[in-house]
This record gives sequence, C-alpha cells and structure tokens, in this order.
Amino acid sequence: MHLCPEHQGPLVVETRNLRVALAGRPILDGVNFKVPKGQLVALIGPNGSGKTTLLRCLLGLQKPSSGEIRLFEGTDIREALPRIGYVPQRIDIERSFILSVREFLALRMEKARNWFWHAHKTSDEMLGTTLAEIGVEELLDRPLAHLSGGQLQRVLIAFSLLRNPELLLLDEPTAGVDAPGEQTFYDLIADIQQRRKLTVVLVSHDLSMVFRHAAWVYALNGVICCEGHPEHVMNAESLKQAYGIHVSPYHHHHHH
Amino acid sequence: MLNEPFMQRALLAALFLGPLCALLGVFVTARRMAFFSDTISHGALTGVALGFWLGMPDPTIPLILFSLLIAGAIVWLRERTELVTDTIMALLLSGSVAVGMIILSLLHRRPGDIQRFLFGDILAVGPQEVWLAAILFAVVGTGLFMNLNDLSLITVQEELAHVCGVQVRRLNLVFVIVLTLTVAVAIRLLGIILVTSLIVIPPATARSLSRNLRQQILLSVAVGMAGALGGTAASWQLSVPCGPMIVVTCIALFIVSLAWRGLRPGIAISP
Repeated sequence: MHLCPEHQGPLVVETRNLRVALAGRPILDGVNFKVPKGQLVALIGPNGSGKTTLLRCLLGLQKPSSGEIRLFEGTDIREALPRIGYVPQRIDIERSFILSVREFLALRMEKARNWFWHAHKTSDEMLGTTLAEIGVEELLDRPLAHLSGGQLQRVLIAFSLLRNPELLLLDEPTAGVDAPGEQTFYDLIADIQQRRKLTVVLVSHDLSMVFRHAAWVYALNGVICCEGHPEHVMNAESLKQAYGIHVSPYHHHHHH
Repeated sequence: MLNEPFMQRALLAALFLGPLCALLGVFVTARRMAFFSDTISHGALTGVALGFWLGMPDPTIPLILFSLLIAGAIVWLRERTELVTDTIMALLLSGSVAVGMIILSLLHRRPGDIQRFLFGDILAVGPQEVWLAAILFAVVGTGLFMNLNDLSLITVQEELAHVCGVQVRRLNLVFVIVLTLTVAVAIRLLGIILVTSLIVIPPATARSLSRNLRQQILLSVAVGMAGALGGTAASWQLSVPCGPMIVVTCIALFIVSLAWRGLRPGIAISP
C-alpha cells in the first residue's frame, strides 16, 4: 500500500514553500503540503503551530508572504472555492439571531436563491439525502444558535456537503464536542469520505483522534516537522520533541 | 391630524423609516453593532453644530456627511490600531458629542434648537427628509431583500460566507454605509439620543414571538412600522417630542410580546 502523496496521481492541494508572517512573527516558514485526490489527510500540531493559518491560506482568507498554493492544479483560489466544503472550528452566533437550521441550510442551496420565500416550501426533498446521511433531520426547525456543540458540528457538515464538494476542509471540527462524541464524529467523517470519494483535510490538535482514519499525517510546527503514515508519525523522534508527552495513540481507544 | 401638512410629512417619514430601521435592526443586533449605530448617531451632533456654524438653516447635509465620517473613522481605526472596537467607538462618541456641544454653546443657540436634534421633532421633518426617507426605503429595502442570503451568511460567520463565495469586505462596507445613512435620516424623527432604539427594540420584540428568521424579520418590520407611526401620532396628540413617544410605543409592544410569549408556553424558544 503506497499512500505517500507522491505516488497518488493528481494532487488536490499543494503548497510550495509557503511562508506567512503575522506582525513580523513567522507563522508558516516554508511549508510543503500535498493532498492527493480521494485521501483523508490529517494535519496535526500543537496550539499556535500554524494549522489554522495554513487552512486560511488554502481558503484565500490569509495572503501568504511568499510561496505557492495550488488547488485542483490551478492557482486561482476563488475559482476553486465552489468545489470546496469548509467546516469551521466553531461559530459564535448571537442568541437573538434565530436563523433556523432549515433556513441556514437553504442558504447553501442553489435553487433556493432567495430562502426568504422558498426555504419553508422546497427544502425538504433537496435536503433529504444529505440530512439522512448526517442524521440531523430532527433539528431542522431548531434555531442554529440553540444547538449543542455536537449538533452544530453535524449541521455544519451537512451545510458543507450540500453543493457536493470534491474537497472538504475541517478545522478542529470537534472543538465543542465531548470525548465520546468526538470519536463518533471522526467515524462519521471517515464514512462520508469513503462513500462520497471525497478528498479531506482534517485539522486536529490530537493525533490519536485521527489515528484510525487518516491515510497520511502531516505534523506541523511552523514547518512540516514530520509526515507519513499515522504509525510512522506517532513514533517519530522529531514529533516527540515537538509535542512532548501528548503522543499516545491508544489513549482514546480503551473504551472500545 | 392628517390635514396638517407637517403631520403628513412626519407620518410618511415614520412609515418609511420604522420598517427600514427594524429590518436593518435584525442584522445590526445579531452582529452586535448596536453601539456602532449609537456612535454614528451621536457623531451627528458635531455635523449639526457645523451646519449651524456655517450658517445653514437646515443642517441635514453636514449631519449625514459627519455621520459617514464617524463610521469611516471607526472602520479605519479598527483596521489600523490594536484598540478594542468598543474603546474606539466610546472615544468617537464622547468626542463628537463634546465638540458638537462646544460649538453649539459658542454659537449661543437656543436650547430648543439643540433639544429638537437630541430628541426628535415632527416639525423638523421637511419635504427633503421625506424624500430622503422614501428613497432610502425603496433602495435599501430592495437591496437588503436581494442580499438576505449573503447577509445571513456573514451574520453566521464571515469565513464561512467567504468560502460560499460572498464578497465579505464589500458587503460589510455597504452594510455600514446603509446603516449610517438610515440612522442619519431617522435622527430628524427620533433624535440623536434615541434613534438606535428603533433599530434595537423591534427585532427584540419580534424575537420573543418568532421561531425562525423569516418570522423575526416580518414581525420586526411590523413592530417598527407600528411603533414609528403610533409614536408619531401620539407625539402630536400629547404635544411631546417625537423620539421619546416612538420609543415608549416600541417598548409597550415589547412588553406585550413578552407577556404574549409567557401566556403561550408552546412558543417558548429557549431550551
């Protein structure tokens, strides 16, 4: 089994010598990051290692100081955006804003260009398959601002899948979810990835959580300090130096 | 009441501005921009003072221009400095009120002149204000409805909106300009001190009775219209300033909405 990015055909994401400095401090210092089509790649690193910055660069939210970004083998990020689904770390909605889940999802559907008139009539059949896949049907009429962390993440996943993206970017998607929910959530993502033949970049602070599902792992700390199969990365000396004691692959699997 | 031309003008302005402020208010409150609205309205005091100083009988133009200037200053300082947005706004609010009051004192204006800008005045609504309100209502109202999707998305999260193809920076800029213009024109009716209430109270009233955003928008617009028209009419009946009367009417509707919700637990939204 050769999962190394170089042997996997077309690259959906590729950065070459990517550098970002914020307020004079280098955040990314020459990052080469490759994601082959159809793979689930994990990007791990401690807080402040530049994971979110790298993701923001890929989405065109952060301008790199230098280096190159290629998405779907092209350099125009805006052109690539319609093919990308994005699940943010968390969203912070004012409780007074009572956008319902149904209305929120309608914002992403092409046919419901103006949800104000149509969200309540037409969305059911359009949403059907995606919602069943994620299991959020019963949340449709709840306000988005009142969902629990786990429910909100599922809704955000459903939202990101509505336009059938080819690439899914998830930024620490389990930040507000409890530990058992976290593993279920990663199982769900792996399941969707396989069923839809998606390319997935999963950002996480914790390698053990993505250990079971990632085909390839990048460990980031300003630079890519280590990459490889999860088993390889887990035992790498460089990673242990970067992370200290946090690398323990079996910690979260005791209860299985 | 309806035979008086000044009353017709005031009611027309209320009819246009009430729903418009209420519609904008749904997004202003959800985006935590109520203090922003308060800052630009208070900034208008310096505009009014400058207008008088330049010898203008009607300071509408400097009022609008100075409100835009304050809005621009907030955005500019927020991008260029490390200051917290609240600090920037508090600084500009107190600064422009102070400068405005100093100029007005030096000009020896009668207190009544100042008061009608602070608390609103039916008589201050001229044909020019009614036209401005009508144009704003038509253009901004249509624009908001056309862009409800994008506006809802940036309210949920700007990054997510960007990924969905929304031009976030441009939309934010347009929203700030539109809000500033609406606030500046509504000052004639409600006054500098109270104008933000017409942006904040209708969505809050609608909030207690709605289960989704569509209901909140429709109810908020209805409350804004009822509050503005009712308050303007009552202000004439009771010979009191227009702004406070509109606020009291809106608050009465708010209390009714709370009571209504209390009586019908099925609608209670909070889990």
